[in-house]
Amino acid sequence: MIGEEFAGLLAAAQGGSEAEFSRLWRDANPALLRYLRVIAPGAEEDIAAETWVQVVRGLSAFRGDEQAWRAWLFTTARRRAIDLARRRSRRPEAPLDDVTAAQLPGAGDSAEAALENLGTAAAIALVSALPRLQAEVILLRVVAGLDTESVARLLRKSPGAVRVAAHRGLRRLAETTAEAGVTL
Amino acid sequence: MPNIPQPQRQDASELTDADLAVLLAGKAGTAPVPRPVADILAALTAEATTGELAGEARALAEFRRRSAAPVPGRRASRRAARPGSRLGTKVAAAATGVAVVLAGAATAAFADVLPAPFQRFAHEVIGAPNAPAPRQPSPAHGQPAAPGSGAAHGRPGAHGAPPAKGKHRASQGQGQQGNGTGQQGNGQGQQGNGGGQGQGNPHGKGKHGKPHGSGPHGNGQGQGGNGQGQGGGPYATSQPVSPQLKEMRGNSHQRRPAGHPRRPARIRPATDP
Repeated sequence: MIGEEFAGLLAAAQGGSEAEFSRLWRDANPALLRYLRVIAPGAEEDIAAETWVQVVRGLSAFRGDEQAWRAWLFTTARRRAIDLARRRSRRPEAPLDDVTAAQLPGAGDSAEAALENLGTAAAIALVSALPRLQAEVILLRVVAGLDTESVARLLRKSPGAVRVAAHRGLRRLAETTAEAGVTL
Repeated sequence: MPNIPQPQRQDASELTDADLAVLLAGKAGTAPVPRPVADILAALTAEATTGELAGEARALAEFRRRSAAPVPGRRASRRAARPGSRLGTKVAAAATGVAVVLAGAATAAFADVLPAPFQRFAHEVIGAPNAPAPRQPSPAHGQPAAPGSGAAHGRPGAHGAPPAKGKHRASQGQGQQGNGTGQQGNGQGQQGNGGGQGQGNPHGKGKHGKPHGSGPHGNGQGQGGNGQGQGGGPYATSQPVSPQLKEMRGNSHQRRPAGHPRRPARIRPATDP
């Protein structure tokens, strides 16, 4: 989250400043990817890229604070994910089995990235194991930084249902980690 | 057994709503919440990794492309779209105007306030009340028991219509003269005439039980008062009439000719008995 500087950053980005837009992007994109990794695993980068294309198109017309900005961003991403899921259900895609080892990322890069991502990846995996609504609510509340009302509007649920889902999700996480003795 | 200190773990069932709210607010350090859960949430909000920042160049390229688009060009493209939209607006406005005028005319027609020629035209086209015809010496209406059946089942303003030719589907008042050749050919004539009750309905009642033998679709071919009822109404039958039925009706009834089609007939001119 950017905080108090958000309004200035937004205005500059809307005026065409690449540096300010880059700051906005760096602040929001990791959270976006983590959210998409749970609701659209395997397609998070494509969906994130499409989301930013749409955001750039509508950037000059956007009006609101940082909460509204993140709500817009995650709403756009969620709609893209739903569209992709619908397209895939109509046209199932066959997995690529003929990717050669040479086409895979270098081992060194993979190991470093794996180390970097270990804690985050494990956390995302644990959240992904929750029921869909609970996982989305936790991610939108914690990762996206949205309040209960914004999450309720985004998911088209009541604020009460969002609170209940969040609490149930956290309780389930606590039970799972207590049973398995999981530590990060 | 060795005395191994165990880390204190909070039972999940002990989590209160306040604890959860603290967790969700990202302030796990200030409340007694399960460590693993707090760690999970902290990991979810950890610093961005290299991989998560790899798409920046692509996003910036899109941003540059959008920012570099010439503004006048965008305005011109918007302007170019306007003439079509203006034309569409004009067409829509004209269509709305025409619709309003027609609606007003229809309303006036049903209120029977149009001049006679227009009222008759509206009567033919949309079934508005017919304009009163100029007074003429009326031909024989048939028996008194053939009351204004046109009135009973015709539409208002249908009485005294000129000798009906049965052209209209809802040929009101035409049964009075029995000349009508309603499309349905009810031929049900008038009750109480001793005739013309048509075979479709021994009591000369129309579909809705009206006593004057007029089906919903007009009066068919019944002659005025003679009740020849040659039409075949919806209840008509070409079956021979049983003796009992005959007795009920009386012998003056004329049966429908054999072979007469059951279905609503085509329009036929009135025929003499």
